[in-house]
Amino acid sequence: MGASIRVLFFLICWLNMLTFFCFAEKAQTWSGHVEGETFLLATEVEGHELDRMVYAEGRRTEPGPEERHPSNLKIARVKDLHETSEGSDPWEDEAEEIDSIYDPLEPMNRAFFQFNDKLYFWVLKPVATGYNMVLPQLARVSIRNFFSNLVMPIRAISCLLQGKFEALGIVLVRFVVNTSAGFLGFQDVAKQALNFPVQDEDLGQVFAFYGIGPGFYLDLPFLGPYSLRDAVGWGGGLFINPFDYVVDFWPNVGIRAYDIVNKTSLRIGDYEAMKEAALDPYVAMRDAYYQYRLNLIEK
Amino acid sequence: MICKRFIMVPLFFFMTLVISGSSIAGGPTEDVRKTTDKLIAIVSDPAMKSADRASERAKRIRKAVDERFDWKEMSKRSLARHWKKRTQREKEEFIDLFGKLLERTYLDKVEGYSGEKVLYVGERVDGNYGIVVVKIVTRKDTEILVKYKLKKKGSEWLVYDISIEGVSLVNNYRKQFNSIMTRSSYEDLIKKLRRKVEGE
Repeated sequence: MGASIRVLFFLICWLNMLTFFCFAEKAQTWSGHVEGETFLLATEVEGHELDRMVYAEGRRTEPGPEERHPSNLKIARVKDLHETSEGSDPWEDEAEEIDSIYDPLEPMNRAFFQFNDKLYFWVLKPVATGYNMVLPQLARVSIRNFFSNLVMPIRAISCLLQGKFEALGIVLVRFVVNTSAGFLGFQDVAKQALNFPVQDEDLGQVFAFYGIGPGFYLDLPFLGPYSLRDAVGWGGGLFINPFDYVVDFWPNVGIRAYDIVNKTSLRIGDYEAMKEAALDPYVAMRDAYYQYRLNLIEK
Repeated sequence: MICKRFIMVPLFFFMTLVISGSSIAGGPTEDVRKTTDKLIAIVSDPAMKSADRASERAKRIRKAVDERFDWKEMSKRSLARHWKKRTQREKEEFIDLFGKLLERTYLDKVEGYSGEKVLYVGERVDGNYGIVVVKIVTRKDTEILVKYKLKKKGSEWLVYDISIEGVSLVNNYRKQFNSIMTRSSYEDLIKKLRRKVEGE
């Protein structure tokens, strides 16, 4: 039974991939539209703003290699400095552009966002809070390390496919050291003793490395925020997880749920703080996810 | 060869002078550190822990945060293209409300301090703009990378954006504000903002 569900899941993943390529074309026309919009906007704002738009646009329209070169950017910026009295911000081109993830399914996503919100407050949080009282923090951190250690194959393959050989080395050494000296991964000895931190690599980042865009935004029930690309990556990652080859489907789901409860127990309050600070929690979450992934991909 | 060495020695002296001189003037890292240390001192002061002094404690934290954050710059960047369309009074009102919201968010974070280590891992300065990279090591053994963006105003470096793990606060609010304003209006945004700030 477990096998047939896995095959079904695999098919769904591939179907998603196919739809993604259909959407990719649409997404392009969409970004074209935004360019037009920013261009129109640029005429009505002042130098400071204009300069930001130009850079934001420069990023989106894929400038040639010589334009992209940081020293050239700086030259262009120095020119702007003379034009604006206040001077321009040297880091502005890094993150100030107005681009965001395409979200054609917003009504559906908002509904699932509400669903996940309720799931968190009514189920996950009470369970994790109770669990908190039973198990000391040290034990929970160890369990988190144990699960994190098992994700090694995904990280290793992702490093390999991106040609990150140094990171691959770290992933492999971490696995060997933590599995042996770290008692099956419960202790993160590699970080404490060798200063080898976790290499946060996954298949979504591999797809991005090969130039596949995020597609569009998805807020999936139970799973939370994903871009289409990263959701496919996540699905693919399931096939590289050792659990899939050792245990059946339902125990597997149980183990994964336990992993989530354990992780949640270590970060109760984060979601509440995010929601508390946001004027539109859905948009805040969508953008935070987008920026966070972008940051990981750039690393 | 000898000639070179003779040049190198005064050059070295000159360089040490420059380096010590700049540390006296105070770089962005120094300013961030000053505020962080001040906040940690307030939060971990046992005399301030009692319930009846909570408001005084919050006031002191707020003052320390106010000194370091440039609410106006943050408001301007968050409203982005909508900023220009606002009147002077609207701008002032917005800075006040948004500043309060950010202050409270930051205050909650600071109040939750429980002995996390703060490491200063990097600094970049380009003219009047600076970036300070801080690594916070929590007791749960996770590391959080925080990037402060600062702008020099007079002799002080003031924070105008914070990124946590690559998520910029100003960017995040800009998307929210933009989404609300394109959907309804600036008035609606102010209403939402006020409700959020006065909600407690």
